[in-house]
Amino acid sequence: MQRRDRGTVQAVGAPLTVRVKNSRVLLIGAGGIGCELLKNLVCCGFGSGYIPPNGANGIPSPKHTPGITVIDLDTIDLSNLNRQFLFRKQHIKKPKALVAKETALPFNPAVNIDAQHASIFDPQYTVAFFRSFDIVFNALDNLAARRHVNRMCLAADVPLIESGTTGFNGQAQAIQKGVTECYDCNPKPVQKSFPICTIRSTPSQPIHCIVWAKSYLLPELFGTSEEEANDMVETEGDDQEEVKKLRAEAQALKKIRGLMGTSEFAKAVFDKVFYEDIERLKSMEEMWQTRKKPVSIQFDTIDKLSAAEGAALASQDQQSWTLVENLAVFCHSLATLTGRAQAGESSIDFDKDDKDTLDFVTSASNLRSHVFGVLLHSEWEVKQMAGNIIPAIATSNALTASLSVMLGFKVFRGMLAAESETATTNGHTMVMKPNNPPLGGSKFIFLNPRSTERIITTQNLARPNPACPVCSPVYAELHIPPVDADGNGMSTLQDLVGILIGNNDYAHFTISTEAGVIYDEDMTDNYSSPLAELGIEPGSSGFVTITDDDEDPRADLVLSVTAAPADGGLSIESHISYGKLPLKPVPAAPPTESGTAPDVKSAMNGIALLNREKRKRGAGDDGDDEVDAAAAKRAKAAPTASDAVVTIDDDGAILLDD
Amino acid sequence: MANDRVPTPPPLHDLPTAKEKRYDRQLRLWGASGQVALEEAHILLVNTGSGVTGIEALKNLVLPGVGQFSILDSAIVCEEDLGVNFFLEDESLGKFRAEETPLESFLQKDDNLKPFTLLLVGAPIDYASLRKIRDLALASQTPLFYTHCIGFFSHFSVQLPRAFPVVDTHPDPTATQDLRLLKPWSELQDFAKRMTDDLETMAQHDLGHVPYVCLLLHYIDKYRTQHGKLPESYKDKTAVRDMVRAEGKDEENFEEAYAAVLKSLNPPTIPSAVRDVLSAPETQSLTSVSSSFWLIANAIQRFVTKYSVLPLPGAVPDMKARSNDYITLQQIYKSKARADCAEVTASVRSLEKSTNRSAKLEIPVNEIENFCKNAAHIHLVRGRPLQLITPGEKPSFGDRAKALRSELTNPESLMGLYLAFLAFDDFTATHTPPVPAHPSSPTGVLVPGASDSALEADAAKLTSTAHTYLDALINESGNRLEDPEYSDLRAEIEKYCTEIARAGGAELHNMASLTGGLVSQEIIKVITGQYVGVDNVCLVEGVASRMGTLKV
Repeated sequence: MQRRDRGTVQAVGAPLTVRVKNSRVLLIGAGGIGCELLKNLVCCGFGSGYIPPNGANGIPSPKHTPGITVIDLDTIDLSNLNRQFLFRKQHIKKPKALVAKETALPFNPAVNIDAQHASIFDPQYTVAFFRSFDIVFNALDNLAARRHVNRMCLAADVPLIESGTTGFNGQAQAIQKGVTECYDCNPKPVQKSFPICTIRSTPSQPIHCIVWAKSYLLPELFGTSEEEANDMVETEGDDQEEVKKLRAEAQALKKIRGLMGTSEFAKAVFDKVFYEDIERLKSMEEMWQTRKKPVSIQFDTIDKLSAAEGAALASQDQQSWTLVENLAVFCHSLATLTGRAQAGESSIDFDKDDKDTLDFVTSASNLRSHVFGVLLHSEWEVKQMAGNIIPAIATSNALTASLSVMLGFKVFRGMLAAESETATTNGHTMVMKPNNPPLGGSKFIFLNPRSTERIITTQNLARPNPACPVCSPVYAELHIPPVDADGNGMSTLQDLVGILIGNNDYAHFTISTEAGVIYDEDMTDNYSSPLAELGIEPGSSGFVTITDDDEDPRADLVLSVTAAPADGGLSIESHISYGKLPLKPVPAAPPTESGTAPDVKSAMNGIALLNREKRKRGAGDDGDDEVDAAAAKRAKAAPTASDAVVTIDDDGAILLDD
Repeated sequence: MANDRVPTPPPLHDLPTAKEKRYDRQLRLWGASGQVALEEAHILLVNTGSGVTGIEALKNLVLPGVGQFSILDSAIVCEEDLGVNFFLEDESLGKFRAEETPLESFLQKDDNLKPFTLLLVGAPIDYASLRKIRDLALASQTPLFYTHCIGFFSHFSVQLPRAFPVVDTHPDPTATQDLRLLKPWSELQDFAKRMTDDLETMAQHDLGHVPYVCLLLHYIDKYRTQHGKLPESYKDKTAVRDMVRAEGKDEENFEEAYAAVLKSLNPPTIPSAVRDVLSAPETQSLTSVSSSFWLIANAIQRFVTKYSVLPLPGAVPDMKARSNDYITLQQIYKSKARADCAEVTASVRSLEKSTNRSAKLEIPVNEIENFCKNAAHIHLVRGRPLQLITPGEKPSFGDRAKALRSELTNPESLMGLYLAFLAFDDFTATHTPPVPAHPSSPTGVLVPGASDSALEADAAKLTSTAHTYLDALINESGNRLEDPEYSDLRAEIEKYCTEIARAGGAELHNMASLTGGLVSQEIIKVITGQYVGVDNVCLVEGVASRMGTLKV
C-alpha cells in the first residue's frame, strides 16, 4: 500500500482499501455534487488500482480495469464557479467532464480517470456499459436523467448512490434492485403546469404571465420547436372554442416573424400581443363576468426611452421597472435577439443564464402583468420564477458528496463480505449470510437546514415498493444475432414472439417499446417486421417490455438489447424462464412485514473487524455487542418514519472468518 | 429605439453584474448583505496536524467568496498528505504546506491576531498555543472554531462573542405569518366588512372569491357577537371552524379559511427569546457606541410597551381571490407594516440623539425595516468560552454540569465521544515525541496511536483519562449514574478511545470533507450573521452518519 493511502487504511482497514482501489466507478455529472464527489473518490483512492507486493497472494485481481469514468454533457458557466471548485474562470465554456478530470487527476495520479463529454441518454451507454461498473454515483440536476440512470442500474443490477441538494437541504441514498426502494418507488413531484387558457387568456398571477412570455411568446418569435411547452397544457377545463382561437392567434404571430429586422417589428409584435389579442379577449364578455377586464395598451401611446436607456435599465435587475421602462427593455431585448437570430442562431430558447432571453421574458411578462392588473416584478425575481432556480451552495454539496462516498464505502464493505463468502464457499453461487446487512448497512441520509441539533439525520432504507412499475419487473437481456454479409438472418418480431411462446411458455402477452405497443394478440401488423425496424437493435439504450396478460400474470419482463455472441441466435438470457418469473404484484400492496430483521450489531465493529489484521484492537475482539445496548436504546428512542416498513436494521456487523 | 439593425450593445462586463452572476445561486439564500459580510471577512486557519478538515472548510469558504484568508501551518508536505489533501500534488513533497511561521513565535505578539474576523484551529495543536489563541479570541470577541477529525469521528466547538445577535434567522416561511386576525386594525376591519357585507346573499361565484382572511375576520366578529369574547381557546377556535364549515359551500376560499383557523387565530405573542433580547442589559443601557442591534431593540421595546405587540411583518400568504382584491389586501398589510416601522424608526432617531450617537453611526433605514420584519424571530446567542482541559487535572463543566450529566442518559447523545476528544487533547498536551518526529509531524505534538508498538498502551491511557472525565462530570453534577447505564457508557467511551487511538491521528479524506463542510457552513452563518447556528459543540460519528450537538 502506498503511504498516501494511510488515511483510508487507518480508517477502513486494508481489505476494504484494496477493494476500493480496485473498483470501477461510474460518476454521472460533474457539477456541484459531481466535483466534490470526484475529489472525494480520488482522494480516498477509488479506482487507483492495487498492485500486490511480490509474493502476496489471496487478493483477488479485479475483474475489470479499476478506474473512475465521469460523464457530463454540460459546459462550464460563470455561475458554476461559486461551488464547482474544479473549475476556474479560464475554463468557462469548456466541457465539465474533461476539465474535472484535468484538475482532479493530480490529486492522485494513480487513479485512472476516463472523462466523457456526453449525455447519459446517449445510445452507447447500454445496460452492458452500466454493468461494467461496481458502483454508480449520481450527481445529476434533473429528474429525467435521474430516472433513466435509476432504471439502467436496476437493469444492470449495479448499486446506485443517488444524491441531490437544494440550498441548505441535501440527501443521499443507496439503491439496489430487489434490496432497497428505487428512485421511482415513490412518485416524484412533477413540474407544475397550467391550463392553456389561464396562460393565454386569463392570467391572474405573475407566474402565468412569465410562463406566457417564456413558453409562448419567445418560442413563437425566436424558436423552431413545434411542440407545446410542458408547463402549459390543454386541460379538460379549457374551453375548446377558445383553444382553437388561440391556435389561430399563434399562427398570426408567426407571420409577424417575417418582419424581423425591420423597423416595424417591435411595434408589430407589441400591438399584436398587447393590443389586438387583448381587445379580442375583452370582447368575450362572458369571460370577464367574474374577472377584472384587462386593459390593452398600444405601442404609440407609451413614451419611448432611447435604446441606450433600455440597455442600461436591463442591467438594473433588482428594481422593478415602470411601464415605460419595461417597454424600453422589451425593445432592447427584441433588437438583441433579432441580431442573434439574423447572425444565424436558428432557435433561441429561454435560458435563465442567457441575459437576452431573460430581459425579454421579464419585460414581456411585466407588460402583460400590467395589462391584466397583476403585480410587476424585478428581473431578479422573474429569473427565479422563470428559471426554476434552485439555490446552490458549496457547503451542502460538500456535505452531500461526502455522505454519498460514505455510502459508497458501505456498499463496498457489503460486497467485500459477500465476495469473501464466495471465496470460502469455493467460488460456488454466492450465498449472503442472513445477517449480512444489505448494501453494507447503507442508510437514507438527510441534511436538515432548520435544525441545528440534527443537521444530519438518517433513516433506514425502505424495501422496494412491490407495485413500483420501474423496479418490480424482472430485467433480462435479449441477444440479437448479427445480419450476415448478404443481409440474411434478420430477426423479426415473429421470431421474438416464437421464443416467448416456445422457450418461455408465455401464452397471452403484450410487447411494447418506448414507442408504444408493438404486439399483442389482436395486433399482429408488425409480425414480419425486422426487430431493427421496430427500434429493437443492439447498441440502443431502450428497453422492450413483455407484459403478461394471463389471469394470474407474471411480473413484467423488461429486456435490454445486446448483440448475440458470434454463433448465438436470437435468445433471451438463458436463466430467465416464464415459470421462474414471480407473479405480478397486486398494485398498492402493503409494505412487506418486518419479521426478518437480523441481529442488531455495531457497524463500527464491522469496519473494525476488517481492520484487524493491520491494527490490533485493544480490547475484546469478540465483543461485537459492546455498543449494542446503546444502539438498541437509540433505535427505541428514535423511531424513524420508515421503521414500520423496514425489515433490516443497518447496524449489522460483517462476520468474517478469521 | 428598436430600429433596423440596432447593433447589439456590448455585454455588460462591469464587476457587480459579473459578481452577481457568479454568486447568483447563493445570493438567493443570504442576499447581498450576507455576501458583503463574506467578502469583508478575513479568516485565519491554524493547522499543525494533517489539516485536511481545515483545508476542506477553507475551500468551501473561498468558493462563495470570502474576502481574505491566511494559513498558519509550519508542517512540511509528506506522502501521507498527498492522499488526503487535494491542494497538494506530487511536486509539493518536501515543501512547506504554508509559508513557514512557527506558531509559538506568531502568537508572541498579541496584535498578530487582530486583523482576523474569525479563527479556525484544527487539532492536534500545541496546547499552550491553543490556550493562548482561545484567550486572545475571548478578549477581542473574535469567533473561534476548534475541530478534531480522526478516522470516522469528528468534532467542532464554536466560541462566539458574549453577545451574538442574529436578525435574519430565515425561519420557516409558514412560521412567519402574522395576520393579526384577533387584533385587526381599523383599515383591515373595514376592508373585511366591505368584502363580507352581503355574504349571506352573495352570488356563489362572488362568494368563492372572498379572500379567506376576510372570511375569518367575518366569522370571528360573528363569534364575538354571539359569545361576547374573542375565540381564544382551542374549543373556541373549533367553534369558529365549524361556522366556516357550516357555510362552506365547497368553495376553495372556504377550504383555505377552514384550514387556517387553528394556526391563524392566535393572539399576537412575543416569543420568550425575543423578550430576552428586549430585556437584555445591552438593550436597557444604551451608550453612544452601542451596536445598532441594541438600539433598534430598545426602540422595539418602546413599541411593545405602547402596543403590547411587535411591529407587523406585513407579508400576506397566497390565497384564492380576485387579483385586485388581493392587491388591496396586500396594500393594507404593507401600509400597516410601514407605519409600524416608521414609528420604530422615529424612536431610533430620538435614541440616536439622546445617546449622543455620532452622525457617522446613523442606522440605515433598511436595517430598521429588516429588524421590524424579523422582530418575532430574532435570536441572541450568548457565546461561551471554548472548554479546554488542564493537563492532568479534572475538567470542570461549571453551570452546564447538570445539563451535560443528563445527556449521559440520552441514548442519542454523543457526550461520550466528546469526552474521548477531551482525553485526546489531554494526551497530546502531556506527550512529546520521543525522538525528533517525522518531518511532517508538528513540533512537540504526539498523537495517540502514532506508532503500532504504543497503540494498546495509548488506547488504554485515552480510555482511562476519558473515564476520569466521566466520573468528574457525574460528581460535579451531584447526580449519580447507576448501572447498567454507567457501565454501558464506560464501554462506549472505551470503544471511542480505542478507535481514536487505532486511527493514529490519520484523517479519512471523506470524513474530513464532511467535517469541513459542516464547519464551513457554520462559519458562513457566523460571518453573514444569518441563520441560527450550532451552539456550541457538534460531534459526528461517521460510521452511522450520526451527529449530535451539546452546549458546554
